[in-house]
Amino acid sequence: MIIKVENLVKRYGDLIALDHFNLQVNDGEVYGLLGPNGSGKTTAINCILSLLKYDKGTIEIYNKPMKPDAYDIKRNIGIIMQNVAVFDELTVFENIDYFCGLYISDKSTRRTLVDEAIEFVGLNDFRKFYPKKLSGGLLRRLNIACGIAHKPKLIILDEPTVAVDPQSRNNILEGIQRLNKEGATIVYTSHYMEEVEQICTRISIMDKGKIIATGTNDELKGMINSGEKITVEVFKIDYSILEDIRKQPNFISAEYSGNLLVVKSNKGKNNLVALLDYLKSKDIAIGKIYSEPPTLNDVFLEITGKELRD
Amino acid sequence: MFLHNFKYRIKCIVKDKQMMFWTLLFPIILATLFNLAFSNISSAEKFTKIKIGIVKDSDYNNNKDFVEFLESASNHKKDDHENKLFDIKYGSRLEAERLLEDGKVEGYIYFENGTKLVVKKSGIYQTIIKSVIDDYTQSISTIGTISKYSNGADKNILRESISNRVDYMKEVSTSRSAPNTTVNYFYTLIAMTCFYGGFLGLKEVTSIQANQSTQGARINVAPTHKLKMFFGSMLAATVIQIIDIILLLIYLMFILKVDFGNQVLFVLLTCIIGSITGVSFGTFIASIVKKGEGIKVGILIGFSMTMSFLSGLMYDKMKYIVNENAPILSYLNPVNLITDAFYSLYYYSDHKQYFIDISVLCLFPVVFSIITYFVLRRQRYANI
Repeated sequence: MIIKVENLVKRYGDLIALDHFNLQVNDGEVYGLLGPNGSGKTTAINCILSLLKYDKGTIEIYNKPMKPDAYDIKRNIGIIMQNVAVFDELTVFENIDYFCGLYISDKSTRRTLVDEAIEFVGLNDFRKFYPKKLSGGLLRRLNIACGIAHKPKLIILDEPTVAVDPQSRNNILEGIQRLNKEGATIVYTSHYMEEVEQICTRISIMDKGKIIATGTNDELKGMINSGEKITVEVFKIDYSILEDIRKQPNFISAEYSGNLLVVKSNKGKNNLVALLDYLKSKDIAIGKIYSEPPTLNDVFLEITGKELRD
Repeated sequence: MFLHNFKYRIKCIVKDKQMMFWTLLFPIILATLFNLAFSNISSAEKFTKIKIGIVKDSDYNNNKDFVEFLESASNHKKDDHENKLFDIKYGSRLEAERLLEDGKVEGYIYFENGTKLVVKKSGIYQTIIKSVIDDYTQSISTIGTISKYSNGADKNILRESISNRVDYMKEVSTSRSAPNTTVNYFYTLIAMTCFYGGFLGLKEVTSIQANQSTQGARINVAPTHKLKMFFGSMLAATVIQIIDIILLLIYLMFILKVDFGNQVLFVLLTCIIGSITGVSFGTFIASIVKKGEGIKVGILIGFSMTMSFLSGLMYDKMKYIVNENAPILSYLNPVNLITDAFYSLYYYSDHKQYFIDISVLCLFPVVFSIITYFVLRRQRYANI
C-alpha cells in the first residue's frame, strides 16, 4: 500500500473540513478523488503531504508515518498543485531545474531529468520563455513538469486541469496515463467526473469531508439503482402517455421537451427494447434514439441527493 | 542544495524589476533629487570673487599704494586664485563704464582727488567694495596722523603694525570635516535604503512559506530542510542588498560628490550591518504578520518610513526633537542608529560613539532572526 489514511479529522474553527476521512491507495493505480468544490479534496491532499496540521487520525506513506521531516518519503513524491507554483522571474528551463534541484543534487543527472521533463510535457520550443509569456495551457504543463522532473514514484495532482483548454487538457490526461504506465502511482483530484472516469482505475467520491463511495468506475455505477438514460426523438406525445411510461416497472422518470422524450430507467437489462416496444404499441412515430449509461454524477446524485456540480 | 537555492534566489531577486526599482533605483533617484535641491542651497550661500574695474590713467600711477593693496586681495597672480576678494579688470574710464553697464563688474574705481567708487546699484558686493576702500582710507589717514606726531618713528614698522590684524581667538573644529547639515539627509537616505532591504527579506520568507505562496508549498513538500532553504534565501537577499547599497554609495561619493569623511571602511561596515538589519527586519515582518503579502509590504513600508522620519529624512530637526524628548526612541530606532553611526564618523574625532551605535544596531538583526527562526521552524500550518 502506498498511502493509508485513517480517521483523519481536520477542523477550521467550527467547520469540519475532513470528517473521519479514510483513504487507501495501492501501488500502480491511478486513484481518483472526485467531489464538488469545497468537499475537502485539497485539504486532504495538504494533510497527506504534511503541510497542514490535523486534529486527529493517522497518515502513512510507504508504510511509514508521514511527517514534515520524513525526507526519505518526500523524496519519492511529486506534487502538482491546483494553482500554478512557479517563479515568474525564472525561465521554463530554470523553473524545472530549480524544483528538480531540491531533490537531485547531481548537476548532470539533473540536466538529463530536466530535458526529459521538458520533452514529456512538450515545452521544448519554450525552454527560454518566462511563465508570463506562456498561455494558460502551457503554464499548466510547466507546473506539471516542475512536479515530475525528479521522476517520483508517487505523483499527486490536485485539479491540474482547472481553466485549461481542451487540447491542453487531453495532453495533460494522456501524460498522466503515460506516467502511470512508466510505473508511477497517481492520486488525481478533480471535480470533473469525465476526467476521473477517463483516467482513474479506482475512484473515491467525496462530500462534506467524507468518502461516500469507493470503487472502480463500473463498481460505483453498479452501486446505484439507476440504469441508462434513454433519449428518443418524438414529434408528438400526449401527457397521458408520459404518465403511463412513468408507471412502467423499468422506468424511473419520463420528461418531454423540444421533441425529445428523456426516460431514466432502472438498473436492469432490455430497458431500451421495452421502451421502444411500448412506443410502437401506441403507434408513436420516433426519430433518433440515444442511450447513455449512468454517470458518476448519477452516482453522486443518488447518494447525496444533489448534483456533483452544485 | 544550499548553493543551488542561493544561485536561483539571486536570479529571482535580480530579475524582479519592481524589487530592484525600490531597492536600487529609487534611492538613486531620491539622492539625485536631494542633490539638486541642496546644491541650490549651497550655491546661494557660496561667496564668489567680486569683479571690479580700475581706471588706468595718469592718476592711477599716483595711487600705486592703493592699487597694490587691492591687488593683494585679488587674483591677479596666476598661482594665487583661492580665497581672494576681488577680480580686477583694468582699462580706461570709458571701458570701465561699459563693463559696469554690461554688468561685468560690480563697480569701478577711479582716482580724482582721492579714491572714487562708481556703482550702478546698491548691494552686498557694492557694500564690500566700499568698506574695503573706507578701511584703506581710514588706515592711511591713521598712519599719516601718527607719523605727523611721532618724530623719528620708522614709518614702515608703523604701517605694518597698523595693517596687521591680530585675532586673539582661534576657531577649532571638533569634526573631521567641514560642517554640512545637508549631509544628514544623505545619511538618512542610506539608512532608509538599508531598510528597503526588508522587501527582499519579506519576499524570501514568503517564497518558502507554504501558507503564503504556492511556490512555498511546493518547496515544503520537497525533501529539504526548511532552515537551510531560509539561510540560502537570506544570504541571497543580503548579498543583493549590500551590492545595492555599495552602488548607491559609489553614486553618492563619486557622482554626487557627497563627502563622507575619510573613513570609507567604517562607512561600508555600517552599510553592511544596516543591510543585514534591514533584510532581517523584512523576514521578521513576513513571519509574524499573519496576513497577505500586500498587507505585509504595507506594514514594512509604514515602519521604514516612520523610522526614517524620526531619523530626520523629511525634517532634519526631528532627530534632535526625538533626542531631547524621548532619547530611548533613538536607540530603539535602527534607522536612527545607522544615521547616528554615519554622523559620528563624520563629526567625531574618535570612534567611541560610532561603536556604541553599531553595537546596539547589531542587536536588532539578532533579535529579528531569533523571532523569525522560531516562527519558521514550525513546519505545518493551521491553514493554507
